[in-house]
This record gives sequence, C-alpha cells and structure tokens, in this order.
Amino acid sequence: MSRIAARRQSQSEIPTASTGDIAFLLIIFFLVGTTFRAAQGLKVVLPNAISTERILKKRNVQNLWVDKAGRISVNDNLVAVPTVTPILVEKIVENPDVVVVLQADKDVPYGYVTDVLEALKAARALKVTFATNYEMGGGG
Amino acid sequence: MAVSLRGRRGGSSNAGIPTASTGDIAFLILIFFMSTSMFAKEKGLKIVLPEPTPPGAEPAVKIPPQNLLNVDVNPQGQVQVSLASEPEKAEFVSVPQLREVLVGRLAANKDLVISFRVSRRAPYRVMIDVFDQLKLAKAERVSLVHVPLLEEGGGP
Repeated sequence: MSRIAARRQSQSEIPTASTGDIAFLLIIFFLVGTTFRAAQGLKVVLPNAISTERILKKRNVQNLWVDKAGRISVNDNLVAVPTVTPILVEKIVENPDVVVVLQADKDVPYGYVTDVLEALKAARALKVTFATNYEMGGGG
Repeated sequence: MAVSLRGRRGGSSNAGIPTASTGDIAFLILIFFMSTSMFAKEKGLKIVLPEPTPPGAEPAVKIPPQNLLNVDVNPQGQVQVSLASEPEKAEFVSVPQLREVLVGRLAANKDLVISFRVSRRAPYRVMIDVFDQLKLAKAERVSLVHVPLLEEGGGP
C-alpha cells in the first residue's frame, strides 16, 4: 500500500523534456513571420479608414513615401515625380505582381498624391494600396 | 587490473554532452528574435488603377451621363455629389452621410459608375475619408480622376 503511494508521488511531475522543442517551434514561427525592414522611409502620419484591409503577400510590397512637405521617397532615396516611373518600371519587370503601398501623410495636398498615381499608371504599376490605419466604429 | 578497467568503464558512462540547457538556449534565441524583429504592418485601402491611355486618345469606354455620378472634393474639403446628366442638382454632403447617399444612389441605378474627382489642394485625409465611404458603400466601379496641374492653377 505504501509502495503504491510512493510510486504515484514520483510520477506527479510536469514533463519538461519538450520545452526546448516548443521554444524552437516558436523561433521558427518568428523567423518565418517577420520581415526585416528594407527601407526606413519618411516620417508620415497615416490617415485612418474603417475599411482598412491587410496586405497578405508581404514579399510583393514596394513602399513609396510622400511626406507632409510633398517629398517622395522610394528605397530611401528622395526622388522627383518623373523619376518614379523608371524606378517602378524596373520593379515591375522584376516582379509583375508588385503592389505599391503609398504611405502618404494625411495632411499632404492631394495634388502630390495624384501626380504619383499618374507616374505609377505610366509605369503600369496598377496595383496600389493607400496605407491607412484602422479606425474603429461605423460612423466615420 | 580489474579495478582500473572498472574505473574506465565508469568514466565512459559519464561522457555525455549535457542537454539540460538546450531549452534555456532556445528561449534566449527566442527572446532575441522577439525583441529585434518587427512585424510588417502593411495595411490600407486597395485600388487597381486603369491601364494608361496614350495622350490625346479617346477614353475606351463611354458612359452615358445618367449613369455617371460625380463625387467632387473642393479645396476646402467639402464633398459635392451630382449626376453628370443633371449637374444643376449638385448637393453638398458631409463625409459621414456620404455612405447612405451612395447606397441610395447605387440601389436606384445598378449601372452607376462613380467619377471621383479631388482638388489638388484638398488634404489627402479628406480623399481617404471619402474613398473609405465609397468602399463602405460597396461602390465597385470607381474612377479616380487625375486633375492636371494646368487645369487648377496655384496648387501643388
């Protein structure tokens, strides 16, 4: 009787042999799930929108920044509007599925944005996303 | 002799790499990756731009004016909605009301195409707010009109 009790006590331990495996699993998750930022970009305050969607394929993303003063940045280079087209043409040749994410400041006059959109259209970079933050509620 | 053999045997049974700390090492690497990596938070409003048309060419599709709804944003950020066939009936709409107005218009005419024209001097924020409302109203056919610099002097 006493023997059985002793055996039960010795078995009541949480098995810790698999913690290492669990940790490695988490490491692999973080390695796959994160992408290191390629470009720093410009300082912008993004506008809010209720119907914000996530971009699922992160590998196809090409960021393009337009700051409050109307400066345009691609791959950490400040460029003028006419230079945007040849840069994007190159990107489209490399990867036809590229999605241009336009990170424009919420206070920039729309004229700068529409000029960039025309440059993208000329480069046939037709998949564009206006970067926004989530906004809660349905009123607007 | 026999004693020394036994001693060797005892030594070989102890010669194993200690694996008790692999879990700790793995957690250390895990914490390093968690603290150094950032999740790419790419999100926004999607739009597919039309094919570029050569300068001077006629637009490929002609839309009858009764099927064309103009949504205009002026430099002050006010929104005006009017059918292209009846521009005199243009009405100012506040941004939060826009969704209802558009849902009503789209329900009345299934073939409605929205021509979204924003002034060059209007803030980008207003354009996104209106575009958000268009998306919320499930407006599928939206054309984003480019206003050239010459057409609207003085702006950026």
